Amino acid sequence: MNMIQELKKRKRLQILLLFFFVTGLTIWSAIGTNFSFYEVFSGFGLISNFVFLDLLPPDIAASGTLLEAILETLYMGFVGMVVGALIALVLSFLAASTTTPHPVVQVIVRAFTSIMRNIPGLIWALILVASYGIGVTVGTLSLILGSVGFLTRVFADTLEEIDTGKIEALHATGSSYFQILAQGVFPQFFPGFIAWSLYNLELNIRASTIIGMVGGGGIGFAIQKGIKLFQYKEVSMAIVLVLILILSTEFLTSKIRERII
Amino acid sequence: MSRDGNVYPLNAQESDNEIAIKPKKDLFTRGVFAFGAVFFLFCLYQLNIDYSNLLAGTVDFITMLGEMFPPDVSEWKYVIPAAIESLQVAILGTVIAVVISLVLAFLAAENLAPNNLVASIVKGFATLMRVIPTIIWALIFIVAVGLGPLPGVLAIAVHSLGMLIKVFAQSVEEMDDGKIEALRASGANWIQIIAQGVIPTVVTALLSWTILRLEIDIGESTILGLVGAGGIGWELTRAMRSYDFNAAFFIAMVIFVMIFSVEMLSNRLKLKV
Repeated sequence: MNMIQELKKRKRLQILLLFFFVTGLTIWSAIGTNFSFYEVFSGFGLISNFVFLDLLPPDIAASGTLLEAILETLYMGFVGMVVGALIALVLSFLAASTTTPHPVVQVIVRAFTSIMRNIPGLIWALILVASYGIGVTVGTLSLILGSVGFLTRVFADTLEEIDTGKIEALHATGSSYFQILAQGVFPQFFPGFIAWSLYNLELNIRASTIIGMVGGGGIGFAIQKGIKLFQYKEVSMAIVLVLILILSTEFLTSKIRERII
Repeated sequence: MSRDGNVYPLNAQESDNEIAIKPKKDLFTRGVFAFGAVFFLFCLYQLNIDYSNLLAGTVDFITMLGEMFPPDVSEWKYVIPAAIESLQVAILGTVIAVVISLVLAFLAAENLAPNNLVASIVKGFATLMRVIPTIIWALIFIVAVGLGPLPGVLAIAVHSLGMLIKVFAQSVEEMDDGKIEALRASGANWIQIIAQGVIPTVVTALLSWTILRLEIDIGESTILGLVGAGGIGWELTRAMRSYDFNAAFFIAMVIFVMIFSVEMLSNRLKLKV
């Protein structure tokens, strides 16, 4: 009995400590960012004014020119996923501990892809724009970089989780390296490959809607421009198109995921 | 002998079924792949990428990478506080989102909501908040409340709120209904049901979603400065605009270290939870 009470006490203490830690962190952040509820609530009127008077209703007449931009967004996201998945497919075999030719190769590939993954797409675009100039090339390239970084990691993790018994069995029957890949590794890898690629497509489409803000092409440029020129009704039309694009991508990928896996 | 006679037709039927199911699935998969390949070529054609520019740009980029070395750390007095500000924006935004979503998620979960209309209204709002990217929210809030970290905090809070309501409500909907019914039968009211039955069950899921969201938000907070919503993104924009590549390299390194260490930390925490 005593021990149980002791444990309960300790657990309560742990929760209390965590609570104080999080509260302290929050207060520290609030002070650092000059956050005040007064400002938020006094800004509330301004925000609702802005949303209901300036943004709404969306300007349907602008949808013609915006349609081109939103399609460009879709193209960039899709190309980024396909090229990213193809490159990541090769790199992941080098980065997974089960299939890598040499541990040094594994560390190098993991480090490189970690840099690609941990620098946000928009920051890549900002850096790339200095050498490639404004346009879809920058957007597509930064999406490819992000996709390679993300997909190499998850593909490699999938490869490492593969059941090695099957591979050993194939080995014992005298299969060659490529036969083992085709018959033992690929069937187990395939569902993960599809699921992660589809998820990456969703991420890319989201990222590709904003990449235009730093000169990467697509709808983000139109949104940025609209705000700078005070054409808020065009901006809200663009946001509606973003909504439609993201929701329909989510719908399609979930349907494909259900059918294939 | 008659047994054999029984077995064969059964087997035959089974293999028939397999044949009937497998090609159908393969056909769909192949169809998706074929469509994907055609659509990919179509996208490439539509994007109309200038390949000579791609080549020249790559040469430029490599030259630029060379010029970036060594990183210029002399401006750390401005860069480090900006990085801390990004971190603070992310923490505050996430905490606000978690607190509000804890209330709204219970209204959005179908097994707890007072009625279905409330659930669908809350879910609809959550979708709107979740689908509009953080940086677009930041642009909207900048117009309303001005530049600085405040629109960044609000943007992160609103976007995270949308996602957290969705996933929290899903975790609540996935829980065993028996528990809720038992509490309801014993005469517990709505708040009691949530406090005694729901929260203890879903608290682990909520914690891991919160950690994941904080991880994403720290990444997002580094880019908010690009539109003027405070933090380290602004420092990078400034350095790139003035072609100060050495400073830009240092700032990019700081951003990488920030996000990388958060990724490491959350991997650790995930193992613990």
